[in-house]
Amino acid sequence: MQVRMVWRNLLAHKLRTFLTFGAIVLAVFLLCFLRAAVRTLEGGVEAASSNRLMVQSAVSLFQDLPLAYENKMRAVPGVDWICKWQWFGGVYRERSNFFAQFGIDPETFLRSYRGVDMVDGTYEEFAQTKTGCLIGKGLAASYGFGVGDDIPLIGTIFTKADGSEWRFTVKAIYESTTPVIDNNTMFFHFDVLKDAVESGAARGPKGVGVYMLRLDDGASPESVMADVDTLFENGPQRVQTTTEAEFNRQFVTMLGGVPKLLGAIGIAVLFAIFFAVLNTMLMAARERTRSNGILKAMGFTDGYVFRSLLVESIVLALVGGVVGVILVKLVEAPVSQSIGRAIGGFRVETSTMVIGMLLALGIGLAAGIVPAWLARRIEPVDAFRSDA
Amino acid sequence: MNQPIIDLEGVCRSYERGNEVLQVLDHLDLEMQRGTFYALMGPSGSGKTTLLNLIGGLDRPDTGRLAVCGEELQDLSSSELARWRADNVGFVFQGFNLLPVLTALENVEMPLSLTPLSRSRRRAQAELALELVGLKDRMQHRPRELSGGQEQRVAIARAIATDPALILADEPTGDLDRASADQVLELLQKLNDELEKTILMVTHDPRAADHASAIVHLDKGRLGSIETTTRGAMQAAQPRS
Repeated sequence: MQVRMVWRNLLAHKLRTFLTFGAIVLAVFLLCFLRAAVRTLEGGVEAASSNRLMVQSAVSLFQDLPLAYENKMRAVPGVDWICKWQWFGGVYRERSNFFAQFGIDPETFLRSYRGVDMVDGTYEEFAQTKTGCLIGKGLAASYGFGVGDDIPLIGTIFTKADGSEWRFTVKAIYESTTPVIDNNTMFFHFDVLKDAVESGAARGPKGVGVYMLRLDDGASPESVMADVDTLFENGPQRVQTTTEAEFNRQFVTMLGGVPKLLGAIGIAVLFAIFFAVLNTMLMAARERTRSNGILKAMGFTDGYVFRSLLVESIVLALVGGVVGVILVKLVEAPVSQSIGRAIGGFRVETSTMVIGMLLALGIGLAAGIVPAWLARRIEPVDAFRSDA
Repeated sequence: MNQPIIDLEGVCRSYERGNEVLQVLDHLDLEMQRGTFYALMGPSGSGKTTLLNLIGGLDRPDTGRLAVCGEELQDLSSSELARWRADNVGFVFQGFNLLPVLTALENVEMPLSLTPLSRSRRRAQAELALELVGLKDRMQHRPRELSGGQEQRVAIARAIATDPALILADEPTGDLDRASADQVLELLQKLNDELEKTILMVTHDPRAADHASAIVHLDKGRLGSIETTTRGAMQAAQPRS
């Protein structure tokens, strides 16, 4: 009977209930969306492995390091293997079609990461084909690329001397479950760039953007970092060796206060919706003063009246929360497809959905408790004297 | 003589109005017998509704003893009073006071949800109560879809649904036209005659009071007199079998 009463009371003012419900849906959606965005930005930092070190120029990330450094670093105790990473920065057909592309070493790339699996084609095929490329499944879905397709890229950092496009053939499509490797990225052989620049067929930097050092099991990252930095202390180019986490963090830092701003917006939304729901529940409690008096006269306890209003507030907030979470999960894939090409894959984690639901529950509880308490306290004789 | 269903000794109740203390009931002593239909009359401010609220366990006396249906109400906690109301009293108000979001049947079923009855049993009992007040064909109607007289009959059905010993009615015909008022009064009379319910009805209307067996007159918070009506005299002459 109490459930029916709660339901009927919610439907007694359909427009007001719908507007409040809509506000909660929007709030939970926004909060989950903002958290997912912040988590996406920070995801690479948390998922980073301690057995991978990144070596970049001490001057700037945009300053390339000499190719000769590779052999010298290989001799540093604790370094197992090395994978070069070079940012390509090309566009597919036109400027608006931008996604991340990197030149890497196929021999060492895949074995450096866990959670990167081929869903079409084979990695071996990619490794054996110099003009081949490896693309994420998100990228393949966005542009309809399949194995065997040619992808023409217009270079912006590396340009062909004859003005032609760079062409890569898709040899494999991967799916990554580690946030360190995004599903909207393209990888190709680093040597394609190196050979083209060295032969004069292309113009561009003659070095390596970043060296990724994979450490031996049990090697001390601190010791390797110190050794590598010392090795090139006197040039020709000084380096800065960091853990992968530290390396990834600099991209979040580049965004300045964006994560904090997103958090602040989320809190502001939370408070606005709390007051909206509180207002609704106060109005509901006031309108129901007489009804609550009747219930108490019939023998229903103060606790029953308290619970009815509180449950009503919680139901309203929770249903709104569920819909908000479903909506944010529904937009996850399209958002990931669109912004994922610029920043790492947008993902709505289970923890984000749980937090969304808990916030909805919190709003329902906090907004319902005061009106429920007021309804609990009123005496039947006073309730009958009220206008409501 | 049977033990009275209502037994008041030295009951006082006052209210504060600003700096003034208003003595509404002043050392009131009163006994009412089980199975009797009482009309409670008196000028405005004489304490009729206050007395009804005290007897119904909706309010508490400042001092005095208040025994109703065998329970000393002044000693009960708030939740005990709620339980006692559910078991012993049915209320009928001037403004009907039905729950607007529920149908007539659900309104009558509402107090039954405080009993251990099964859902089907509650439903059957609520239907029976509505049949008794002649509204079986209006069970699925919401209060706003009913006339004033029908609303009050639903309220009476709700008051008797749990089969309480005592029915308290606060000006039940005050908002009704003559024809509807007569229907409601005849219904209350029937509950007294056939189901032997004890009824205490506050009214200003002498015609309504004539449906009772006895009229209790209150004056300035004290008992004025208890007068036996023609109906009461007839009942006394023809005792129930």
